[in-house]
Amino acid sequence: MILKLNNASKIIKSSGKKIALLNDINLEINTGDFISLMGPSGSGKSTLLNCIGMLDHFTEGAYTFLDEPVHAMKEKQRSKLYKEYIGFVFQAYHLIDELTVYENIETPLLYKNVKSSERKAQVADILDRFNIVGKKDLFPTQLSGGQQQLVGIARALISKPKLILADEPTGNLNSKQGIEIMELFTELNKEGVTIIQATHSESNAAYGSRIINLLDGSIVPE
Amino acid sequence: MIKNYIKIAFRGLLKNKGYSFLNIFGLTIGITCASLIFLWVEDEMNFNTDFAKQDQIYYVPTNQKYDGEWRTFYSTPGPLAQDMKNEIPGVVRATRSCSEERTFTVGDHTINKKGRYADQDFLEIFNLSFIEGTAKDAFNNPEAIVITKETAELLYGENTKVLGKIIKVNNNDNYRISGVIENLPKNVSFPFDWVAPFERYRGGAEWMTEYGSNFSDTFVELSPEASFETVDAGIRKIIGKKSEGSDTQAFLHSIKDWHLRSKFEGGKKVGGRITYVRLFTIIAIIILLIACINFMNLSTARSEKKANEVGVRKAMGSTRYSLIIQFVSEALTMAFFAAIASIILLVVLIPQFNLLIEKELILGLTNPLHLGALLGITIICGVLAGLYPAFYLSSFKPVEVLKGIKATNGSASFIRKGLVVGQFTISIVFIICTILVYQQIQHVKNRELGYEKDQLISMKVNGTIINKFSVIRQDLINTGAVKGVALSNSKLLSGGNNGSGLTWQGGTNTEDILISFRYINSDFLNTMGMQLLEGRDFSDHIAKDSTSVMITESFAKLMGEGSAIGKKVHRGDDSYEVTGVVKDYLYGDMYGTSDPVLFFNYHNFARHLYIKTDAQVSTNDMLAKVEKVLKKHNPAFPFEYTFVDEIFNKKFKNEQLVGKLSQLFALLAILISCLGLFGLAAYTAEQRSKEIGVRKVLGASVTGIVKLLSKDFLKLVLISIVVATPIAWYGMNNWLQDFAYRIEINWWIFIIAGIMAILIAMTTVSFQAIKAAIANPVDSLKTE
Repeated sequence: MILKLNNASKIIKSSGKKIALLNDINLEINTGDFISLMGPSGSGKSTLLNCIGMLDHFTEGAYTFLDEPVHAMKEKQRSKLYKEYIGFVFQAYHLIDELTVYENIETPLLYKNVKSSERKAQVADILDRFNIVGKKDLFPTQLSGGQQQLVGIARALISKPKLILADEPTGNLNSKQGIEIMELFTELNKEGVTIIQATHSESNAAYGSRIINLLDGSIVPE
Repeated sequence: MIKNYIKIAFRGLLKNKGYSFLNIFGLTIGITCASLIFLWVEDEMNFNTDFAKQDQIYYVPTNQKYDGEWRTFYSTPGPLAQDMKNEIPGVVRATRSCSEERTFTVGDHTINKKGRYADQDFLEIFNLSFIEGTAKDAFNNPEAIVITKETAELLYGENTKVLGKIIKVNNNDNYRISGVIENLPKNVSFPFDWVAPFERYRGGAEWMTEYGSNFSDTFVELSPEASFETVDAGIRKIIGKKSEGSDTQAFLHSIKDWHLRSKFEGGKKVGGRITYVRLFTIIAIIILLIACINFMNLSTARSEKKANEVGVRKAMGSTRYSLIIQFVSEALTMAFFAAIASIILLVVLIPQFNLLIEKELILGLTNPLHLGALLGITIICGVLAGLYPAFYLSSFKPVEVLKGIKATNGSASFIRKGLVVGQFTISIVFIICTILVYQQIQHVKNRELGYEKDQLISMKVNGTIINKFSVIRQDLINTGAVKGVALSNSKLLSGGNNGSGLTWQGGTNTEDILISFRYINSDFLNTMGMQLLEGRDFSDHIAKDSTSVMITESFAKLMGEGSAIGKKVHRGDDSYEVTGVVKDYLYGDMYGTSDPVLFFNYHNFARHLYIKTDAQVSTNDMLAKVEKVLKKHNPAFPFEYTFVDEIFNKKFKNEQLVGKLSQLFALLAILISCLGLFGLAAYTAEQRSKEIGVRKVLGASVTGIVKLLSKDFLKLVLISIVVATPIAWYGMNNWLQDFAYRIEINWWIFIIAGIMAILIAMTTVSFQAIKAAIANPVDSLKTE
């Protein structure tokens, strides 16, 4: 088991009223799962991903990640935890425009203080694997959307995370590029990486091993 | 990691060329400006600091009481030096010293050089370094003279041994060179090119040995162990001891304070040029601050662009700390570019700046102090400018910025507005100061002087000028270029030669009033264009006027009601009758009121010759004619002259410098502030491009949109005016208190400064506003 949520909720105050963005979520995800989160806009998919990814936090309930109680941790410990084990893939890729493909992929390793020689080897490996060695010196704006997302995934994988969180990873792509990305996810999943993706698309959801439906912040029972 | 940051910084610079330019240009101006000021300050602080014993050497001024007020003079009685050395423990050396200009002749060479008559101790107090001869033996012979290397070279050419050679001085006396010293450094308050034994000064007249006459400079050297307080206390008492009934106090004034802290009021040190040194240091810091504010403003305004990067980096595991380091290193990179640009600018500007301030500053980057200061300024600017944006930007929460929720930058925009107000407040204060300083200088320059300073040349009296005066005068008049020739014992524009102890008819307790004495010839009033109010001018027959005096208006007032003509003035045993009253004229402190003057018709004491020339004759022509006459009658002396209006202008050097510099700084402060405003306006326009698009589609006019965008900035400038007005008023009111003769601060100056600021700001902003307003709304609306 990689993570577990017990009665996790996220409640915010907006103009005096309490609004539950996530409501009493109970969820258990095992290592090697490929989860698709589905639901209409505003149902809480992104919030749930962000909370699991520790960029955001639940206001109630318990969150256990690799047997450690995240809800009881300080910011610093959390940041250490997600730096180590979690990779993010964004809908809008979010590559840094001023950095080349190579440097974008290298950045997470810099923040983990990995040695220079080791960084080179790891980045070279992943460039090779994603077949983008020829593009390593280009800047993001010189790439197509599909290629940018490929770099985004490469960057998410560089620190060898146990869990990948992908928020609408194909949302900005055409269907052919979308399929390629999904096949890549399947492949990664087979290698043992746990993946949680949020998606609108039935066909993309089908790549997952399990579908979780969200509605108004709650999990719809299967 | 740092390499990575710098790389990103570089690419960022290149990617946002306009933004980078605004920042670097602003910082460059700031650093350049501050460097110039600091170079000037360094020069000012280093006067008289090249003497090995600078900490032990003191100048001795005197406080004298006139009319119940202490006034400070630089002249002391002749015997003071020796008596202090003999009687006050701790004084190891002391010297009298008088400054004179002398004409040196060697063969065909004739030059004028300023120098000093002094005692042997002078050579040792100032540790003069001898190239030929020694300090110990230099004054063994009463005919001795020690000259600087430069003077020796001017007289004998380079690489000549000159010891023992004879110089003819003033075409009359022979001096034997007993030593050659290194040239003095430039930063000496009392430059001299020669030193001769004091005994030879004015033939060692009797009055020079008495305590009654103050005429000499006195320098002392204290032993390193001596306590300043004890010695000073002793010195304060010595004149009263030696000269019974005198309340005059001599005191110690460090030669290190001479240049910057030589203003005395009521007998106490009250600063001096140090005020300007401090003021300009503050101005330098303020200008740097304005440049840094630009950086902060533009960086935080750009935050939306940066926010995304912050979010991604945080999601990838960056800590806030490393983001702060990243943003500060970006600012530092920019500051270093600015520093390099500044160095280039400084190389170009320093010669111009030297002309402006009449100094010889050098950039001297090999000097570790200069290099260190430049590096220091750069790093402080970079960190200062980068720190606030770094803290602000790195505080963004990744979830929010990545979701595209606009960072709530209420506080940032408040601070940004505050900073703009700060910048413009400073600029407006500078504008107001510039106007007022200019007004004050003009005010004093246009002040009624009581004489006509134009077409007037001044020369030193030497050689045969006094003996042959009537012939010289006639020949000068005969040239047709000269309207009047006058002689005087004192310079027209300076104080000096004054005294008290006089009594006169119609006045009580007059002994305490300080009166200036002028020994003049009969053509004096005519030559100077002074106005005779009452009575008659002096006649050509000196003997006839031997008991006649003329007085100034203010003196006449001291004689009570009614006409002063015929009243008696007593000086010692002598008694004089007032035969003429002259309109008050201005001399000495151009901003104050001048002491009353007593004129005697006796020109044998004259040391200055004044020639009033005809404006119709060209200057070159006139000078040629005058020179011909003087060369004919006084051939042994070089023809040297100055124009009185130039001397007059020099009297305003300090204030004029302040005027010029405040103009310069006002201009730069405004320029830097406008750069910032320009950038901010650009970003506001960009941020609101969608709003502008929508408004245009809904039918808003171009002028309506320009107004909409300019309105916010106008508000900020208006606030700045409100803040700046009292600050400027307070500061300038203080500054003006230093001048007895000064302008009133008019309210309309603030209005003019305000209007100027508004015009400048609106021109800057409207450029961006118009650009945004005439843009096609389709472009701004389709990108969503």
